[in-house]
Amino acid sequence: MPASNLHKWATLPDPTPADLTRAAAGDVDAFTTIVERYQGMVYSVAYNVLGNHTDAEDAAQEAFLRCYRKLAQYRSEATFSTWLFRLALTASVDYQRRERRRPEPVEIPDIAGGEPELGDGISAATLTAALHDLPDDYRVPTVLRDIYGLPYQEIAELTSRPLGTVKVMVHRGRASLRLRLQAERGL
Amino acid sequence: MDCSYFRSRLNQFVDAELGYLEVAELQGHLSFCPDCAAELAQLSEVRGALAAWGEVELGAPLGFVERVAAAALESKPGTVQLGRVVGDALDALDETLGRIPLPGGRTIPVKNLLGYGIAATAVIIQVERYLRRMRELKPS
Repeated sequence: MPASNLHKWATLPDPTPADLTRAAAGDVDAFTTIVERYQGMVYSVAYNVLGNHTDAEDAAQEAFLRCYRKLAQYRSEATFSTWLFRLALTASVDYQRRERRRPEPVEIPDIAGGEPELGDGISAATLTAALHDLPDDYRVPTVLRDIYGLPYQEIAELTSRPLGTVKVMVHRGRASLRLRLQAERGL
Repeated sequence: MDCSYFRSRLNQFVDAELGYLEVAELQGHLSFCPDCAAELAQLSEVRGALAAWGEVELGAPLGFVERVAAAALESKPGTVQLGRVVGDALDALDETLGRIPLPGGRTIPVKNLLGYGIAATAVIIQVERYLRRMRELKPS
């Protein structure tokens, strides 16, 4: 199983209990502080699941609104960032199931901290274009499995598909990406 | 065994889903088959790139925070909206009751079963009403 990227977000500093209490009571200013801190994480999840900026913004907004409404239910068994990360994943997958994907040309996202190192000859532009071109049925489970390291069973539950189907979709998604990246590098 | 047998197992290998003997068998094949070894290397590279991409934080669009704050203001807790109340109740039900496993690894939330039950009851009531009306209209 790949290392889960949940661990990265789990290291973000949590809001103080006082901030959480105020936001849960409906204080929009306290809630806005939370949005400012976690907007990158939530937007990244939505963009990776949905593959375009317009849908990603809608889904990220939906995730934060769910967070606002459910804050009173948050229990500190998980870190706040892990809890919010799960909300962002669920909101994005729900959005993908509910809404028709809007056709949109590939646009390279703004990356905090400059061009990342993804591997030999693989640029962010190449990878995002390859992910963008995958059919939704392949992209969503592949993103959940290989970008976020979710177990297959959890992906099956999130996407309401049989376990075997999810595995086949991930395998095909990986195969498509492999061939695409090979072609891009002229191998 | 030919290469297609081993290639079909590469995904299970990288997902750590093969047993000890299957891993040994695959590794034995990879040690003398450069094509299968190359495919495994490429597969691992794709997964590595995806995992690295997951560490990247993307910048939300300008004005995103303000738009979320405005939407939050509209749905401030305490403002009673029927849809939200029903949605929250269903979510709470979902979290409490969990999911029901179905054959083939599929699971469905218990709340969906309740929904199907309500829909089926509505259909039965309508059919029963229709049949009763037909009986009333029938000339005796």
